[in-house]
Amino acid sequence: MTDMAYSRGRLGGMGALPAERPAGLAGEPPQAQAEAHPRAQASAHASAHVSAQASAHASAHVSARAAGYVQTLSSLLWLPQAGLIAWSVGGMARGAGLADAVAPAALVFGIGALRAALDGWAGRLAFRAARGKLSQLRHDAAAALAGRSPLDQARPASGLAASVLAEQAEAVVPLLARFQPVRIRVTIVPLAILLTVLAFSWVAALTLLIAGPIIPVFMALIGWRAKAASEEQMVEIGGMNAFLLDRLRGLATIRALGAVDMTAARLRAHAEGLRKRTMAVLRIAFLSSAVLELFAALGVAMVAVYVGFHLLGQLNFGAWSGRLTLAEGLFVLLIAPAFFEPLRELSSVWHDRASGEAALNALDGLRTTGVGLPGADAKASRVPAAARGGPSVVVENLAFAHAGAGRQVITDAALAIAPGEKVALTGRSGAGKSTLLALIAGLVAPESGQILIDGRALTGASAAELRTRMAWIGQRPHIFAGSLMSNITLGRDGLTATDLDKALAVAALRDVAAAHGAAPLGEGGIGLSGGEALRLALARAAADPRIDLILVDEPTAHLDAATAAMVTEGLIALSRGRTLVVATHDPRLMAQMDRTIDVEAQVLEALACV
Amino acid sequence: MRVILSDLRPVLALFLAERRRMLFVGAGLAALTVLAGVALLGLSGWFITATALAGLTAATAMAFDVFAPAAGIRFLALVRTGARYGERLTTHDATLSVLAALRERLFRGWAGPRAARALALRPAKLLFRLTADIDALDGLYLRILVPVGAMVASALGTAVVVGFIAPWLGLAIGAWLVAVGLGIPLVAARMAYRPARRRAQAIEMLRSGVIDLVAGQTELVMAGRLEAQRDHLAAIDRRLTAADDGLNRIETGVTIGFGLTSALALAGMLLAVAALVEAEAIGAPVAALGILVVLAAVEPFGALRRGALEFGRTLLAARRLGPRLLREDVPVAPKDLPRGMAVELVGVDVRHDGAARVTLRGIDLVVDRGERIAIVGASGAGKSTLLDLIAGERVPERGEAAALPATLMTQRTELFQDSLRDNLRLAAPAAGDRELMRVLDAAGLGPDVAALPRGLDTALGEGGIGLSGGQSRRLALARLFLRDTPLWLLDEPTEGLDGRTARDVLARLGREAQRRALIIATHIRREAAFAARVVVMEHGQIAAVLHRGEPGFDAVLDALRPD
Repeated sequence: MTDMAYSRGRLGGMGALPAERPAGLAGEPPQAQAEAHPRAQASAHASAHVSAQASAHASAHVSARAAGYVQTLSSLLWLPQAGLIAWSVGGMARGAGLADAVAPAALVFGIGALRAALDGWAGRLAFRAARGKLSQLRHDAAAALAGRSPLDQARPASGLAASVLAEQAEAVVPLLARFQPVRIRVTIVPLAILLTVLAFSWVAALTLLIAGPIIPVFMALIGWRAKAASEEQMVEIGGMNAFLLDRLRGLATIRALGAVDMTAARLRAHAEGLRKRTMAVLRIAFLSSAVLELFAALGVAMVAVYVGFHLLGQLNFGAWSGRLTLAEGLFVLLIAPAFFEPLRELSSVWHDRASGEAALNALDGLRTTGVGLPGADAKASRVPAAARGGPSVVVENLAFAHAGAGRQVITDAALAIAPGEKVALTGRSGAGKSTLLALIAGLVAPESGQILIDGRALTGASAAELRTRMAWIGQRPHIFAGSLMSNITLGRDGLTATDLDKALAVAALRDVAAAHGAAPLGEGGIGLSGGEALRLALARAAADPRIDLILVDEPTAHLDAATAAMVTEGLIALSRGRTLVVATHDPRLMAQMDRTIDVEAQVLEALACV
Repeated sequence: MRVILSDLRPVLALFLAERRRMLFVGAGLAALTVLAGVALLGLSGWFITATALAGLTAATAMAFDVFAPAAGIRFLALVRTGARYGERLTTHDATLSVLAALRERLFRGWAGPRAARALALRPAKLLFRLTADIDALDGLYLRILVPVGAMVASALGTAVVVGFIAPWLGLAIGAWLVAVGLGIPLVAARMAYRPARRRAQAIEMLRSGVIDLVAGQTELVMAGRLEAQRDHLAAIDRRLTAADDGLNRIETGVTIGFGLTSALALAGMLLAVAALVEAEAIGAPVAALGILVVLAAVEPFGALRRGALEFGRTLLAARRLGPRLLREDVPVAPKDLPRGMAVELVGVDVRHDGAARVTLRGIDLVVDRGERIAIVGASGAGKSTLLDLIAGERVPERGEAAALPATLMTQRTELFQDSLRDNLRLAAPAAGDRELMRVLDAAGLGPDVAALPRGLDTALGEGGIGLSGGQSRRLALARLFLRDTPLWLLDEPTEGLDGRTARDVLARLGREAQRRALIIATHIRREAAFAARVVVMEHGQIAAVLHRGEPGFDAVLDALRPD
């Protein structure tokens, strides 16, 4: 009936499907294994939700069943409706008048109204359960994503996570709300119809029985071949949007290289190739539903022809009581299509299953755990800042390698930074400056060795608490969707208006704040220039008076001299009375520091300071 | 209604231009499928009733021609199946073709210089809105136009058949089916417009919330706000649930509405034929035919349900995408250059689209063939705009601009989700592997690529994941080396590279440039030192032009950022 809908998953709605994460040129294919010890934290975190999810799954399942039974009841109510119509026509043949048809007509309408109401109710039931399940799955995936270290190279890219969690996940609802109830209907309704027909005529029942079971056999044979191919196809069609989007993002380059026509031609060729391959699959896939249609149509036709010949007296067998009456014959004809109807519906919602299961798999992919973020879900209580102006930072025998990579990024590093000291970490790109900073921030657990902040060891248990006194300023600070001020507060409580005002002053952001007002930034808003973004990050750090350790990763790398000077100045102002560690290769910034440490030498200077 | 049509016109025009015949054949087959279904059920009902009556006496039974109707029933069953198969193949093939054309046309629409600039300013969310819009257009033909066509065909067919029984009845049933078949979906589409919009909005919010969670995770962790961001996502999901629920209510309404329509049509038909039989206008077989025809006629309603709910979203998409389906006027070719010159700008003003102030004012500049110049100035001084102007990306508002064919190496390295080879070949479609390896070597990336197990076939990801900043910059450089234009424009070519790598890249650039003119926009000393002449820009004007060796040249360089 609604096989137009077949196309939904195939042609539309697939948005930007996950493109496979490519192997790095420099690095190895990032394949994270949850290792023992601190990295396995994230998996423990995820398992906390397993029971909640199981119960949500169960309840979604129960409601889908209930919806299936309600729909089944509605389908079966066609039997009395058909009966009323058949016997009314039978009556007309024997000379009954308008008056005799009034009561049956009223009942036909009444039952029809009841069926409509039942269908509506079943739809609501199934929808609510499915929607609840979707929310649960989203919650779990978000929890797992939040629990992975930012340094986990196998962590899904933000774009991929967003596509799966926002758009693709929506396909779970049709799977649970449409496909599951139909599955229940298909197990009951055909059998009930068959038994009803059997009560009148065994030949008619036999006709249906032969036509019916052949269908699944054919469908299985054809569908089996089509399935594997069509799953690949769905991914590819999603790739068509990704292809367009990717090229649109790089339009400036394409124009600069004079490649517009070439790219347009490739886009077209890509889409045309996809069309040809898709049609090859669809030809087979549609063949399976054509077989179903054929047997359904022929089954009904054969029943009609048999009943006709039987009533004419030419086929005097098949009925239990000699010859069927007109009403009985008509009744059998009317209910015969209902035997096939659930099967046809099943084939029309088949794509809901395919895209729904793809969505479930993608969500499962997001829910896998990788390298854990130390203290991801610990509720942090604040440590009072040390009075002496910034904590000391001591690094001992530190080693770190990215998961799955053999080579260590950091080997046996040692470092000692005095309270309130301003230190530059320097060295060639890729020497491990940023990684060292991330380790100090507790963004990932080291392989071995330890980090002491103000004498306290940084561990999974203490990370969240220690982080409350740290600020992080990255190379390209992330701008959140929201106003400039909300980007500074990040929703932290306990920040006073004075704190914020001071933060704007330190970061020299007053003008920018005045210019932007409450206008949204980030996704969906206006961007900030590189310098403004960095000053925003400075303001974030400056807004919280409890922060006394500031970690900064290449703050001036992308800025012109004037802006870099401004950021440097802000950084110096911010670091007054605090400890500052900056990874940089900007000589002007280095010159402002108390000390420069070359990370390239694998064993760092070990200065005892504390 | 007229507004709807004018919004849909560019989209429909594209559809029709692309596969007019196929689209109509598909819709025609859909109508045929439905009509065959109507005829099949009607004929079967008539046949059974007529045979029953004929079978009452032996004489009538013998005289009854059973074979024609029986063959008709079987024939219609086959027609219906064949038409359905053909319909599905045709409509899907047509849709895929149209989609291919739609994407190409949209790409070309955005590739015009003005549209491209506008797109570059759009934040990521709007790019995703764009794909969501394209997806929403996918269903216009398949889920809206074809089902509507089939429904109208079925209503008309039913009206004609029933019209033979009694003209007034045919008219009544046809009008009822068309009115309800179009009315309920239209009402639903109107009601669904707002929740569909809210739903689209919530999905966009969810998307940006997830991006904030993943891309901004470090910031969130350090601020102790990770948990809060997860709660925020949960709150957005609740909003999305509310919008979904609204849509589901409307869908439920449509289900119930169509259910009641069918019930009413059946009951009404039963009464009508009973009255006609009583008046002896028709016999029982025709009565059965009438009822079964109506039963089959309500079948296509189901296919309309989904389309109705999606129609609002489709309309929104057509409204947003329509303008991009029209082609942009390309500015006329620039005037000729005097011999020996690479660039000649005379009194040029440039204004950004819709800006109050001009970005470049009164620019006079001549660059000779083979000359190397640097453009310096604070961010916002107009360096990049000047490069765009020379590259022909911008048209002067006033004054005259002429330049040799140029290749611009943009500030941001943009790599595409494609193989390394195809990323390079954008610059030179005909280049063979030997040529590609030569430029990779020249850019200092040769050994890195040779070490890759898949070499030039290595796939690069979104934005070139897997390449370090230095490697991507070298790749961009290799791409530039493939462009045999007499003028190369470089926007901060070694930005973000450490000093050692940067000097290596610049040396390679110098070797490869040979006799080409080079213009480098920069704020880094090493890049400016590469040039023989420095153009200092301030507030969109040229403040000074200094040759190497002139007093002040070194002072300008010293004011720039050191390595």
